[in-house]
Amino acid sequence: MDSNYKLTLKIKRYNPDTKESWVQDYVLEVGRILRFTDLFRKINNELDASLAWNSSCEHAQCGTCAVKVNGKPLLACELLVENAVNQFHTTIFHIEPITIAPVVRDLIVDLEKAYERVNEAKPYIIEPAKNPSQGNDYQIFPRNLERYVDATRCINCFCCATVCISSHKGFLGPNAVMASIVRLMDPRETARKERLDTLYSEKGIYRCHTSKACSFVCPKEIDVAHFIALAKEGRFKSKDSR
Amino acid sequence: MTSKFKISSTIHCDVLIVGAGGAGLRCAAEILEKRPGTNIVAVTKVAHPQKSHTQTAQGGMAAVDPQDPVDKPIYHMFDTWKGSDCSADQNIIRKIVESGWEQTVWMENHGMHLSRDENGRVSKRTFGGHTLNFGETSAFRCVFEADRTGKGIMDNVWGEALKGGTSFINQAIATELVFKGDNCVGAIIFRQKDGEFVAVLAKATVLATGGNGQVFKVTTNCRQNTGDGLAITIQAGLPVMDPEAIQFHPTGIVGPGILASETLRSVGGILRNKDLEPFMERYAPKMKELAPRDLVARAIETEIREGRGILNPDHDIEHVWIDLRHLSDYIHDVQIPEVSSFFRRFVNLDPKKDLCPVRPSNHYQMGGIPTNEFGEVQKSNDELIHGLFAVGECAAASFHGFNRLGTNSILELITMGKVAGEKGVASLGNERPELPKNAGDMTFSLFSKFMEQKGRDNPGQIREEMRMLMTEKVGVFRTEDGIGLAIEVLEELKERAGEATLSSKSLSMNQELIQRWELHNLLSVSTFIAHGALNRRESRGGHFREDFPERKDQFNYHTLAFMTEPGQVELGQRPIDMSIYEERQEHYEKFGMIERKY
Ligand SMILES: Cc1cc2nc3c(=O)[nH]c(=O)nc-3n(C[C@H](O)[C@H](O)[C@H](O)COP(=O)(O)OP(=O)(O)OC[C@H]3O[C@@H](n4cnc5c(N)ncnc54)[C@H](O)[C@@H]3O)c2cc1C
Ligand code: SF4
Ligand code: SF4
Repeated sequence: MDSNYKLTLKIKRYNPDTKESWVQDYVLEVGRILRFTDLFRKINNELDASLAWNSSCEHAQCGTCAVKVNGKPLLACELLVENAVNQFHTTIFHIEPITIAPVVRDLIVDLEKAYERVNEAKPYIIEPAKNPSQGNDYQIFPRNLERYVDATRCINCFCCATVCISSHKGFLGPNAVMASIVRLMDPRETARKERLDTLYSEKGIYRCHTSKACSFVCPKEIDVAHFIALAKEGRFKSKDSR
Repeated sequence: MTSKFKISSTIHCDVLIVGAGGAGLRCAAEILEKRPGTNIVAVTKVAHPQKSHTQTAQGGMAAVDPQDPVDKPIYHMFDTWKGSDCSADQNIIRKIVESGWEQTVWMENHGMHLSRDENGRVSKRTFGGHTLNFGETSAFRCVFEADRTGKGIMDNVWGEALKGGTSFINQAIATELVFKGDNCVGAIIFRQKDGEFVAVLAKATVLATGGNGQVFKVTTNCRQNTGDGLAITIQAGLPVMDPEAIQFHPTGIVGPGILASETLRSVGGILRNKDLEPFMERYAPKMKELAPRDLVARAIETEIREGRGILNPDHDIEHVWIDLRHLSDYIHDVQIPEVSSFFRRFVNLDPKKDLCPVRPSNHYQMGGIPTNEFGEVQKSNDELIHGLFAVGECAAASFHGFNRLGTNSILELITMGKVAGEKGVASLGNERPELPKNAGDMTFSLFSKFMEQKGRDNPGQIREEMRMLMTEKVGVFRTEDGIGLAIEVLEELKERAGEATLSSKSLSMNQELIQRWELHNLLSVSTFIAHGALNRRESRGGHFREDFPERKDQFNYHTLAFMTEPGQVELGQRPIDMSIYEERQEHYEKFGMIERKY
């Protein structure tokens, strides 16, 4: 028989109508493989319908449910009760919204604001290269794709940006600069100068001091700091660096 | 009516896109390419377009490469027709299949990171139901971006829509379509963050709100897939087509419902019941685990119903096991690493050592808002609603009929998104619509009712009861009595929902209010599904009637369901297009009412 756990969730709450914020305790008796999103749902259905939290796919593929659990930003949909107890050596969990954008209510932050930085990094091909085989796909060899494909797995959950100290000080943030770096490595992009200008600007990569906290927390296990390091080394400055 | 229910501002645009998933934003991208500078407003219910459900599609997209030495569009058309159990529309099949490769190239050229073969060209793999030479052998027809094709598409179309200057309204719901006579002129949008209602008036409105998976207890769909698009269409008195055509995937991971793909069975995974018996031998002695999706789903459901399932105490639902323990490390590590990792990640089990819990999981709605081949919404068989389009999973043109083939949905999204975009651009007039007087009335009466209701019930609990009811009575197995009962209980649940109280009366980011509204939609969509299922006294594709297990020619039509008065569902028919068959070209005989046998 599967064991049950008695957990205390200390959830940081915020009411935009009264501008009050407080910490509310919820004590739950739960099964071992429930996920933290399941716990929030349980709170809504059984204890407190007013607790606001966000999620969408709950497959760890959209990055909507990022929260801080005992200080660590992570995806609530993939944190199982049993693993949380083992990982944090406790049954008491402090849950707060991620700190990368203003809080809208309780655990919900204004992701649109957080995304403004990604938008600045232009997450699309600005100026496509001429395709030698017009009307067909570009030829990209797997060994080239492999150099940057990991960076394309980013789901913009902003866990990395939450732990990056620099991203709270005018830095575009790890995921946003990576969105630009990946397109410098993509042979289909020609707007290199525009990208480099942003990367080496005030808000750019010089703000990063290589703590690698971003790589450490990334739920998709992307070595974000590696991509930033490539840019810092000046890899993309010459045209044939791809 | 309290004063907080009012339209706080009116936004004018050329095109309003309700639903910024794969289909909606492919449409936006097309419009911006054809007519740069078009003023587009795209609304999404999730926190950001990239959080839409399309993001989770894994397997890939079907497309026949014209340079492929053996594959041909006619084979793909046949597979789709057969897969649909002879109820897709052949004009749509032809149109979508023929543009598959062009669409793939468009996505690739705009930056999608499709996986490559050793020659640096877009790579292709096989997928269930896709064959060469009318069923002879497997076709390599599925293009993919590793195990995250949907994400690749989502990133891509969002990027293009952003680049072209689309204005996004995120974390907002469309609650009502706005009409002027027979023309749709926009929608009422409720912005969750600030709790304001705005009217968005447009020369063309595109519904692209995705699926309705939350009707069922276990689903692969995201949390926001509550059938809103269908519900607001129903509310406007417009029809919904084939609501009863729902696909169940046989092996969802218990709890989160995440897809444990067919690959597990094709590499040798064995399904076992609580006595550890490999039960598929009894249901399909030859094909066993490799039998088609619907057959496997029914076998698992039967085991569970007859008391040979296992109850998962945490998620309070029964399941069977998939046994992967006997497979080699090579298979685990090289052939099924992602799915294996899902079990580790979401149920904390090691498939090399442990039995893993699976059960049928709701996956896809084949039916939806009926459209013609341009994505224009139909009011009846021969009338259109001007200015209103529907694309993607919420729409039915119909490419999938009563059963969708894997990898055909994404193909449909981007093709129909593009087609509707083209048509939309061509139809944009100069006239700037004005806000009709009654716009918003329906929304305000509903929302004020939600706010004022008093009683003990909790909308969350009613929702859970409804999901269980639909799973048990209108799920994988359906019977006259079961569906009849479901229809009665749904009415009771509606009454109870009318007495559920909201704990907070705030309008801004009041999740409970949104869920109350979603419950209203889910109940309305469930009623349509149940009525469609009751009326169709036959079995076809994903719709299986235990009391009528065979397909019958008298039901060779699409169901059209309308709400005439609250709670009253009226049913009509739309003929199935059989143009490929009727044109009598080469191979036409493959497109008759053929048997769906594998
Ligand atoms: C796990 C999984 C794997 C899949 N794999 C594949 C695959 O490999 N190949 C394949 O072809 N298909 C696959 N599918 C199916 C496919 O992913 C979906 O059918 C498709 O993504 C639906 O896209 P869409 O654009 O229609 O809707 P969605 O992507 O769901 O987008 C809907 C949009 O509408 C918004 N919305 C909803 N309601 C409202 C409202 N009231 N107001 C405002 N906005 C609203 C949502 O927020 C969202 O932005 C898979 C599905 C699942 C669940
Ligand atoms: S390595 Fe750079 S980007 Fe990453 S967390 Fe540290 S400072 Fe931020
Ligand atoms: S790099 Fe990783 S942590 Fe950062 S936003 Fe992307 S997925 Fe999240």
